[in-house]
Amino acid sequence: MNETAPHFTPPAGTPPIVQLRGIAKYFPGVIANQDVDLEVHPGEIHALLGENGAGKSTLMNILTGIYQADAGEIIIDGYKREFASPQQAIAAGIGMVHQHFKLVQAFTVAENIHLGWDDTPRRASAAKLERRTADLAKRFNLQVRPGARISDLSTGEQQRVEILRVLARQARVLILDEPTAVLTPAEARELFSALRNFVAEGNAVFFISHKLDEVLEISDRITILRGGRKIATEKASDCDPRMLAKLMVGRDIVLDDMRARPQGAAPVSTEPVLSLKNVTAKGDDGSPALHDINLAVHAGEIVGIAGVAGNGQRELSQALTGVRPVTSGQIIVDGKPMGGRNAAAYAAGGIGHIPEDRLHSGLAPALSITINAVMREYMKPPITNAGVYNPAAATTLSKEIAEAADVAIPDYGMPIRNLSGGNQQRLVARREMRIANKVLVAAYPSRGLDVGAINTMLRYIVELRDAGAGIVLISEELEELLNLSDRIAVLYEGRIMGELENQNIDIDEIGLLMGGRTQSTETREVA
Amino acid sequence: MFGNWRFQRLPSAHPGVAFAARAAAVIAALVFTGIILAIAGANPIELAAEVIDSSFGSSFGLEDLALLFIPLILTGLAVTVAQQIGTWNIGAEGQFYLGAFSATAVGLFVPGPPALILVLMFFAGIVGGMLWILIPTLARAYANVNELITTLLLNFVAALLVYYVSTGPWRDRVGLANSATPRLSAEVPEFWGIVHWGLPVAVLVVIATAAVFTFSRWGYEVRLSGSNPSAAKYAGIPVRRHLITVMLLSGGVAGLAGMLEIAGTVHRLQGGISNNFGYLGIMVAVLARGSSIGVIFSAALMAFILNSGIILQTQGLTTSAVLAMTGLILFLTAIGDELSHYRITREKT
Amino acid sequence: MDLLTGLLTTAFLAGGVLALAAIGEVLAERVGVVNLGVEGLMAMGAVTGIATVAATPVPIFGFLAALVVGAVFGAIFAFATVIVRANQVLCGLALTLMGAGLASTIGRNYSGMPARASFEGVSIPLLNQIPILGRALFSQNILVYLIYIILPIGLSYLMFYTRHGLNLRAVGENPAAADAAGIRVTLIRFTYVTAGAALAAGAGAYLTLAFVPSWSDGVVAGRGWIAVALVIFAGYRPVAAALSGLLFGLITALGFVGQARGWPVASAILSMLPYLGTMAFIIVPVLAWQRMRRVLAAPAALAVPYYRDMR
Repeated sequence: MNETAPHFTPPAGTPPIVQLRGIAKYFPGVIANQDVDLEVHPGEIHALLGENGAGKSTLMNILTGIYQADAGEIIIDGYKREFASPQQAIAAGIGMVHQHFKLVQAFTVAENIHLGWDDTPRRASAAKLERRTADLAKRFNLQVRPGARISDLSTGEQQRVEILRVLARQARVLILDEPTAVLTPAEARELFSALRNFVAEGNAVFFISHKLDEVLEISDRITILRGGRKIATEKASDCDPRMLAKLMVGRDIVLDDMRARPQGAAPVSTEPVLSLKNVTAKGDDGSPALHDINLAVHAGEIVGIAGVAGNGQRELSQALTGVRPVTSGQIIVDGKPMGGRNAAAYAAGGIGHIPEDRLHSGLAPALSITINAVMREYMKPPITNAGVYNPAAATTLSKEIAEAADVAIPDYGMPIRNLSGGNQQRLVARREMRIANKVLVAAYPSRGLDVGAINTMLRYIVELRDAGAGIVLISEELEELLNLSDRIAVLYEGRIMGELENQNIDIDEIGLLMGGRTQSTETREVA
Repeated sequence: MFGNWRFQRLPSAHPGVAFAARAAAVIAALVFTGIILAIAGANPIELAAEVIDSSFGSSFGLEDLALLFIPLILTGLAVTVAQQIGTWNIGAEGQFYLGAFSATAVGLFVPGPPALILVLMFFAGIVGGMLWILIPTLARAYANVNELITTLLLNFVAALLVYYVSTGPWRDRVGLANSATPRLSAEVPEFWGIVHWGLPVAVLVVIATAAVFTFSRWGYEVRLSGSNPSAAKYAGIPVRRHLITVMLLSGGVAGLAGMLEIAGTVHRLQGGISNNFGYLGIMVAVLARGSSIGVIFSAALMAFILNSGIILQTQGLTTSAVLAMTGLILFLTAIGDELSHYRITREKT
Repeated sequence: MDLLTGLLTTAFLAGGVLALAAIGEVLAERVGVVNLGVEGLMAMGAVTGIATVAATPVPIFGFLAALVVGAVFGAIFAFATVIVRANQVLCGLALTLMGAGLASTIGRNYSGMPARASFEGVSIPLLNQIPILGRALFSQNILVYLIYIILPIGLSYLMFYTRHGLNLRAVGENPAAADAAGIRVTLIRFTYVTAGAALAAGAGAYLTLAFVPSWSDGVVAGRGWIAVALVIFAGYRPVAAALSGLLFGLITALGFVGQARGWPVASAILSMLPYLGTMAFIIVPVLAWQRMRRVLAAPAALAVPYYRDMR
């Protein structure tokens, strides 16, 4: 435990702050939660550990009144309570910081702190709200800028606003959903220290995560969920990563180093197959998003892009694949400058692209599986001959892709949004791998997938590398990057802060670069 | 609250359920209207019998129905075409007027043999409709201005324009009625009673459109662009160019409807010539649920409803009552569409 | 009366229709619901106003009756769009068709007749002595004060200077965030959509009881759609909505002056001005002021239904 905050010990006989008994929640075709019992005591940081889809978020959404349980009861301070709305949960002292922040982007920090809050004065001018926000920030020792618009803040700052909002409402139980996914390691340490101070005053924290090391570091007890059910609750001091991983997945998993090449794999080429020279690009709002990017990808290698999400990853992957025009600089594919070409030309040139947020940008969710599956090859024979599109040939190709992706599809005419996220991702991956004979740009390929599906995705990527394609792997999971990449470049505010060979890499150095510091300017802070 | 029964919302409605919801909406609206008529003192059963007899009982009734069918097919198709690229063409009414206007201009002022004039009118009608949607199209493509309101506002301008020319500069100075232009000499020939060749032309246009959307590379790209523009951009499809082409095509189809109405049915331009066909086309498209071929069936239904209103005018009902009932059908359809996403299940405990 | 005063007097009077309807639409759109039924609601309000004063010749009764009818139709629309969460565009178009059709069916008996009673000017002492504005604004009927002064200022205060206003704007921007913060999204949406519809119908009654004042078929003539467009132009702000209504009143007034003075332009062409003006007003600013986009941006959740307990 950290030395800065003394541990809080409740008086004997104090009931748990929160007790959940036999909670169940069902969604169409899914058991989100069943028979979940859970309790948290004053002074405790309690981690909820589980894979994506294990039911962690649903459980906490029930506790905060966003969902209503289909069975079971909630007991607060020894009294049974029912939360028909978030308001009632907030009144009972339960506050949640969501993974996807529930902030109004167009509002200021002060407005976000005060919306939906009964303590907000009835007459609330902007100036008055900003004054109150400054006072609150001082009281809870959280730095925020009351008059700034949320859309202008970094994700770390936005998280502080979320936490301040919950604390201002006198929460005694703070729920954090994957809070460190958007933070640099240094920011995460700051957060941890704030949480310890919070529980030291007799409050409690639920900490949702799927990262083993972090859970072991921060929590007092750990509850593991799998398939919507509770598997175990253990004291953190009795746990080690291996055992947690096994409980979480239900079997032993091996976190492989996948950098070794099997025999017969394509060698790394001497000349880059894709290179960016001083590339600059604008974001959706017209402000500069990429600055002076230089990057070279060779055939047969994997280049990892590390960084906190929102630092230009989306724009980089789009610039690399011709989706986003560059304002200056050059993109060279196989020795040929691609200036002014569109995404179709890049795809025809052998560049595949697994986009982040596949439902939004890589698929048309309302259209059929066939239409989505042929998105890269519809323009050439056998699907299109002389401008005539042949639906039967399209279905044949989409069957081929589905088979390669090992996805069973009852009806190729049904909308692709009816498939699970993992199956969609596998189809997109296979579709892109078919055309990616030069380069594959994979942005967050494992996001939102369960462990099994992640392993499949990573295996695909390695398979393609061994076949001689260059890979750009953009990820927020350092572990994944370390296991796959030959080199790692770190992106911060649209710049590449540094490029490291993945031989004897220093994780702390990556962390610093992710926070925008290079070794020379470093002034090391430990929370 | 519902015991063990619970509602679940599915990501997409089953096509069969969605069709049933539409059918239910139409029937509910008809029943509701019947109840209102009954309250007003009429006998809905008798009225229904009269409507059916007048519509289907004689070849005259069927011919009247067919004449309403033609413009509804095309305005419905115009709205459906715009939907393919994800836009709402609420301006089919105005484009219809402009198609009629341009065709009339050619018919009145261009000398030549009637067959040639007819061909020129055909193209003038299409171009007129296209021009009328041009500004909303460019505003949408280059400034992202919502086309709903811009297309709609131009309907009023088009109505005023047609009213102005047909009562002013172009009015018939010979005949007694001075609220319309002279009769045009070029006519679409008739093939069955008063039904003209516009009918097969309209059906052919529908089939051709459906074929292009289903069996061409261009159609694939349009469907993808309309369903998710970011995915289309990701695939390197020129979304903006397709948007412009498709919206112009939509305007052209509505313009053709106006041309056929002038050259085949009415033969002279007058105020109010659109007869709300543009607005009813929205209804046709919504009932067809994005399917070009479906437009033929929903246009037939709308033609029947519109014709019923005209028949019932002798009973004191107005065409505006038909408009109100159309609104009711649309309203119930929208609700039915949403409800068809739900599944009611019973949980085992 | 000199030309300018006359022009402004007519502008205030004519613009009131659009201003009131636009203010109503601001209420609905601020909480995230696009109501395209304004045209139909105005028609219903217009015929309700006429019918009511035909029965009891008190204009304010006609106006109040229109508010009630508007609220009833608004509640039906809100039920469909907020509670059932049906497509807002379709429901709005349906409401326009229903309202217009129903109004002209009911209105046949009143067609062409002048209103049996209409709103008379009420001069405000002292203020009516102000040059030009004194006659143009402060000698008008009582609804004009409601439309240009009380409603815009009151609603602006409510929206931007109170806790409730903060909450209602949050519902239009991000209902999920508002919900998580404990704001009752459905209730707020339902309430403001209904209230906005009542004002739209009120605008119809203003048309037939204060501006025209008589009923004829098609009297609304697209003003509902212009009002919807003005909301965009006004950046979803009540005061700006009232002022843009006035601006359009001015265009209408210019048309009247043109007709009165015998300008060599057909009246049908002059009648096109408001529609073409509206087109220009929603297209040109987007091209001209890129920077204003953020300030005048639509509520982020506009026309997006909100589902909580679903996925």
